[in-house]
Amino acid sequence: MLTVGIDIGSISAKAAAILDGFLLGSKVILTGYNARKAGLAVMQDLLAGLKLERGAVDRIVATGYSRNNADFAHQAVTEITCHAVGAHFQDPEIRSVIDIGGQDSKAIALDNTGRVKDFAMNDKCAAGTGRFLEVMARALELDLEAFGDLSLQADHPATISSLCTVFAESEVISLIAKGEGRNNIIAAIHDSIGARVAAMARRVVIVEPVMMTGGVAKNIGVVRALEKNLDCTVRISEYCQVNGAIGAALLAARRT
Amino acid sequence: MDMFQTFHDVCADPNDYARRWKAATGGKVVGTLCSYAPEELILAGGALGFRIIGGSSAISKADAHLQSYSCSLIRGALDDALNGRLDFLDGMIFPHTCDSIQRLSDIWRLNAGTGFHLDVVLPVKLNTESARDYMIAVMGKARVELEKALNRQITDDDLQQAIQTCNGIRAAMLKLYQIRQASPGRVAGRPMHAITRASMIMDRHDLLEALTGVIAQLEKQPAPGAASGKRILISGGVCNLPDIYGLIESCGGSVVWDDLCTGSRQLTGPIAADGDRMAAIADRYLSRAICPAKHAGVTARGDELVKLARDSKCQGVIFVFLKFCDPHAFDYPYLKKMLAAQGIPCLLLELEEQIAAQGQLRTRCEAFLEML
Amino acid sequence: MSTQSPPDHDKARRKIKAVKKMKDIMMLYYIDAKTADQNGKKVAWITSGGPVEPLIAMDVIPVYPENHGAMIGASKMGADLCEKAEAMGYARNLCSYARCDIACATVNGGPIGGLPKPDMLICCNNICGTVLKWYEVQARFFGVPLFILDTPFNHTDYTTEAHQYIQRQLQEYIVFLETHCGRKMDHDRLAEVGRLSIAGQRLWQQVLDMAANRPAPMSAFDAFFHLSLIVTLRGTQTVVDYYTELLDEMKTRVAEGIGAVPAERYRLLWDNLPIWFRTRWLSERFGAHGACLVADTYTSSWAGSLKYLDEDDFLGSMAEGYSRIYINIGTDQMAERVIEMVQKYGADGLVLHSNRSCKPYSLGQYDIQRIVQQQMGIPALLIEADMNDARNFSEGQIETRIDAFMEILKAGKGAVC
Repeated sequence: MLTVGIDIGSISAKAAAILDGFLLGSKVILTGYNARKAGLAVMQDLLAGLKLERGAVDRIVATGYSRNNADFAHQAVTEITCHAVGAHFQDPEIRSVIDIGGQDSKAIALDNTGRVKDFAMNDKCAAGTGRFLEVMARALELDLEAFGDLSLQADHPATISSLCTVFAESEVISLIAKGEGRNNIIAAIHDSIGARVAAMARRVVIVEPVMMTGGVAKNIGVVRALEKNLDCTVRISEYCQVNGAIGAALLAARRT
Repeated sequence: MDMFQTFHDVCADPNDYARRWKAATGGKVVGTLCSYAPEELILAGGALGFRIIGGSSAISKADAHLQSYSCSLIRGALDDALNGRLDFLDGMIFPHTCDSIQRLSDIWRLNAGTGFHLDVVLPVKLNTESARDYMIAVMGKARVELEKALNRQITDDDLQQAIQTCNGIRAAMLKLYQIRQASPGRVAGRPMHAITRASMIMDRHDLLEALTGVIAQLEKQPAPGAASGKRILISGGVCNLPDIYGLIESCGGSVVWDDLCTGSRQLTGPIAADGDRMAAIADRYLSRAICPAKHAGVTARGDELVKLARDSKCQGVIFVFLKFCDPHAFDYPYLKKMLAAQGIPCLLLELEEQIAAQGQLRTRCEAFLEML
Repeated sequence: MSTQSPPDHDKARRKIKAVKKMKDIMMLYYIDAKTADQNGKKVAWITSGGPVEPLIAMDVIPVYPENHGAMIGASKMGADLCEKAEAMGYARNLCSYARCDIACATVNGGPIGGLPKPDMLICCNNICGTVLKWYEVQARFFGVPLFILDTPFNHTDYTTEAHQYIQRQLQEYIVFLETHCGRKMDHDRLAEVGRLSIAGQRLWQQVLDMAANRPAPMSAFDAFFHLSLIVTLRGTQTVVDYYTELLDEMKTRVAEGIGAVPAERYRLLWDNLPIWFRTRWLSERFGAHGACLVADTYTSSWAGSLKYLDEDDFLGSMAEGYSRIYINIGTDQMAERVIEMVQKYGADGLVLHSNRSCKPYSLGQYDIQRIVQQQMGIPALLIEADMNDARNFSEGQIETRIDAFMEILKAGKGAVC
């Protein structure tokens, strides 16, 4: 059985294809302003790359913020459920998932079958989300790619105390003006996001092992900051960004 | 040496001070979050009353118990407790204060593990006979429960001695306030803040001695010249940011008096020397400068504030209270109106304990002082 | 492609008939209140948990700024009035009922052109400390006498000294009313009003009990609506008659198998005040998933004191009855009551409205959630919003949370997600 999962977020759209329980491949594109189009496009791109026809796909499940716009999908399931299923597929030992997306972050407690037991979300403000890192990278005139590595090179990490992204940016600018070392500021930024997400995550009972998913998991600085603030090891996989789409594709296969 | 050094040292690390006090005396430490906690009972029980003001670090665990729309005082305090930073406490006393403290008490009791837990549900009304009788009954009960918790008797003699010490402390603090009001330069904002903060933490006998010493030194000083700086009265709730005083001073203001929970409001009302000890204590808590979470008439606080403003000859009032503090936020509009009727302008600064957005506060203070 | 509701063939039968009668009664009640001075009657503003029976016994018309607040929220006029209050200097984090009412009084806003001016204010702080501040504001604004019934908080016990304090205040309350109404209290009348109050509360409890049936003939959203009378006119025959009729209708619905939600598959318990400006939307979102909110902790509060009230000594039992209400007790005791309700109504899950405006109700919810989950093993959904201020409501996010929660429930019942 061939199924496709599509995760349409506010910033990027992801697709994953599962054939008889195996991950065939995945794709990521920017969402842009038309979520439905992006959902279709990422699926088509993925299938083309795998040399598969649309007709070969048995079922499609859509997830993410714009899941309900994907009328070509057979079902819409929230990203909470999908991330749990995806993480379990990648690593059946996982009991907690922390997903940091572009505009929100969530903590999910799952059981040993990958089912969600409880979840908590921060969807009210940018602090603790990918947006926070973007704003800060821009303030420091740096590429997001290098950001994480640089944070680990700090010798004396500074502190940012503002809870609000906008005010935190002002703090960063003050630190720059005071001549604080660039890497130390970057470390502060990463620690800040780690602390905010950990505080939110504690609303759910965190049981190890913990996996971090979402695009921000590619940032090693955030992973380390999260480990420090949660006081545990955090596992990541190369498929962290497409984890939601993987979960969606798996769920699509559960209904015949 | 700076005559205020003792106080600065205590404030540098209050938790550490408490630990050292315990080690040195073998005594017990009782935590409180409100100036309506019965100081005299704690002291009579031989314990150290330790006022917790907010937290000492960024919040990590309290968010799992308190929503973000609660004030940073309760979130910070709970976070300290949950992270074991208050492990020196033998117990907590929670007098009834506001809705937030009320619920914090329950959450604390269920999660904090800081020793014994006493709820002292004082009346909200302070101006009726039945409220007075209830206050006396509740204080009496608190005494009995504290005896059990501290595992010792609290005799009438103990009470009398504690009352004398507390009266002495309050009188000394008020003297300092008066010295400052007469010539603001003599006691700047920062040391005054350190003194008031230390007064809620220090061994009360050491405190009285230190205060007496400081007053003697100040009185020996030659009469200062004309005071500079515009005369400012600070009014509000809990303030743990000494920077506020420094900030106002650097903008050209002088703080001549304060109407703060963690300031002068807890200093008012000496306890009568005679009569039933518990009734005398209760009377003091009924008649001291009122907190906005209590009621003694619909304009009680406004009347008190106007009187303070006039007596201190201030040129402006700066309101300082925490974001998410409901009782203070409800009072602010009418207090502002009553002061405006006296021709006294006001500024409002809403703060959060762990954050000091210096630039914004500075701009507002400067602009306000320029206006006066 | 959001979850669509299947077509409801029984839609007409599903409508509750008593609704029209309630609307008529409430309209007459407000007309009465607004024309009080023309009829030589006095008007008292009173808090929703306040002791209304003595007012009824003195023929004083009770008016509830909180009930009015709910009307403002339901009419979607809340955000606007809140903004006006903020312009007056009231901070945005203050209770939205208070902000709405304080602003409303100055502009006679809201859906009925404002409340009639009070002749007196009766404030009981068993629900929160905010009402004290709110009523102080209104006492200054209207320049009328204010009576405060101070019911000390019951962290773990209801103490003897608190009992005595409240008893004495109830006597002071009667003296206050006698002074401001210019006549003596008729204690026989008060006793009769007390009996009617208890009868009304018993009927309200029986109405709510009907939702223990499967399918539930009414939901919490219905209860939010039918609540008005037991809050506002408790102690009158009108209330007894209305709930008798409503109870009969519920019994009929149970007999005919008419549920509030077509194809009820999941039963949920709601905690905290309603989100007044979105009750319909919420009802539909849950309904589309086959979920019925069968009970809630808010409406059941107006029958929660029955165990303390004595119909042969109403005045004597009022102190305990008014003090030991759901939000005047410790968080752990609240969790116990929630667990009782989960068991009684067969709830599959808990929906917690984290209401920015109400600290006594909302702070402690995280602990209640944990306690209930540990003991009952049921999932919980947290909705962060406000009862009246629509600016604190994010539709997209809340929809996602509801969907995610329902996915958990469905998986729990073996449904493939």
